[in-house]
Amino acid sequence: MGFLSDLVSWFGEPGRWAGDDGILPRALEHLWLAALPMLIAVTVALPIAVWLGHRRIGGLAANAAANIGRAIPSFGLIILAAIFFARAGVSLRFWPAAVALLALAIPPIYTNAYTAIVTVPRETVEAAKGMGFTDNEVLWGVEVPIGAPLIFAGIRISFIQVLATVPLAAVLSSGGGLGQYVVRGFAQGPGGRVEVFAGALLIAVLTLGADWLLSRGERWVLPEGRRPRSSEEIRAAASIS
Amino acid sequence: MRTSFRRRFFGATLLVLALVVTACDGGSGGDATTTPSDGGTVEGPAITVGSFNFPESVILAEIYAQALEANGYTVVRNLNIGDRELIFPEIESGAIDFIPEYLGSAVSIGFGEEAPTDEAEALQTLTDLFAAKSVTVLDPAPGQDKNVFVVTGDFAEGNGVTTVSDLAGAGEVTLGGPPECEDRSTCYRGLVETYGLDNLGFESIAEGAARVAALESGEIQVALLFSTQPVITEKGFVVLGGTEEIIAPENVVPVVSNEVAEAYGDDFAALINSISRLITTEVLLDLNGRVEIDAENPEDAATAWLSEQGLVP
Repeated sequence: MGFLSDLVSWFGEPGRWAGDDGILPRALEHLWLAALPMLIAVTVALPIAVWLGHRRIGGLAANAAANIGRAIPSFGLIILAAIFFARAGVSLRFWPAAVALLALAIPPIYTNAYTAIVTVPRETVEAAKGMGFTDNEVLWGVEVPIGAPLIFAGIRISFIQVLATVPLAAVLSSGGGLGQYVVRGFAQGPGGRVEVFAGALLIAVLTLGADWLLSRGERWVLPEGRRPRSSEEIRAAASIS
Repeated sequence: MRTSFRRRFFGATLLVLALVVTACDGGSGGDATTTPSDGGTVEGPAITVGSFNFPESVILAEIYAQALEANGYTVVRNLNIGDRELIFPEIESGAIDFIPEYLGSAVSIGFGEEAPTDEAEALQTLTDLFAAKSVTVLDPAPGQDKNVFVVTGDFAEGNGVTTVSDLAGAGEVTLGGPPECEDRSTCYRGLVETYGLDNLGFESIAEGAARVAALESGEIQVALLFSTQPVITEKGFVVLGGTEEIIAPENVVPVVSNEVAEAYGDDFAALINSISRLITTEVLLDLNGRVEIDAENPEDAATAWLSEQGLVP
């Protein structure tokens, strides 16, 4: 019971929400750290994956990219990047985390997009060609719309993973988003358990909230015929990756 | 219970080894359990030597263990155990007889009491605390593994900084330390409050290697390190003095169970104390360097040092 009341009073401390080290600035910092890697991953990995999928080449590369990207521990990568950036005289505040998160963000986006395009039935593509669709029309009018749910699932999974990994940035600087609470609480030993738990809770809430928002947005963006009608379908689409 | 089984198991192993060794007429090897040398064995209980799970602690435990063995004591090693949360119960239960502790941390982390910043006072506090657990505290070594604030050689020279109070005249400076440092009276908060360093900022860098890199790149100007980290000598960092007011002494201080201390009496304590006397911070830096930079293993580093000192043949 002591733990629960400590937790409640932690959330109620003065300046806890809007202060310099408050939850809202920290949450914004958290989203900001996730934003750039996501942006780069989407603008770079997505077009490459779609094009390779359209040409039906690079299946092996898709596999390799996914497995290597997921196999590198983000923690190792972030420290490595930190030491590299420090040597180059770049601040530890943002870039080491951005590099590690980018490596984490790319694989789901790439693999899902590639798979989405490549698994569009051959017959459908042939039929479109038979009706006089140009190569471009096949891509934009057939393959991309049909593959869209899987492509978006990849982006969503990637964003969730990135949001859940942003806290690692807190081992390097005072600008680690909500992870700061976890890392600082952890460093305080038994006395910091409340802060660790509160931080973990906030990260989970932010991540699940983002997931929910994205799945709403997905329905809105997808072509009408490809919208998942139930949450089951969304989950089924997501589980492919 | 597991521990008593372990003790019995080691006891049995020891007996067999002792038989084998006597049968072979005194071969001496760096075996994990015993090596009675020239003087023959000393009668008494086997001494279980423990250590924390970081290289320096293992090296220190090896030094004491090998010296004891060379003088005919029977030693069992239980090294690399973990942190104090694991070690203290083992000391209390008698599963560990001997461990090289650190003065201030034993008081503050081991017992959860505030560690006095005066060495003699801290020693008295620790002796009293351990006495209640039937454990004897032996003489502390001069060497300390404590928190130190370091700056680069260039920064020290350029700003004429040799003590923490000198930082007041160095303009805007940032201290990089682990997250818990920010709010501790022995760390960032203590520096600001005790020495009036209003110009000092704080950046939380939990990872040690990244902190060193940030110090070198100039992102931070002051870093919190340990006094025995070989990187200090390797990179020519300058350790800032004048921290006695806020940082407790962390002398290496061997502690031993009363059972063992009483069984062997003054000779045992005298032997341990004669070794502790030689362990200075420079010695610790050198030993850590051999292990962390030259990749020697702790056992060999300990043997090499002991023979350099003429303590083992």
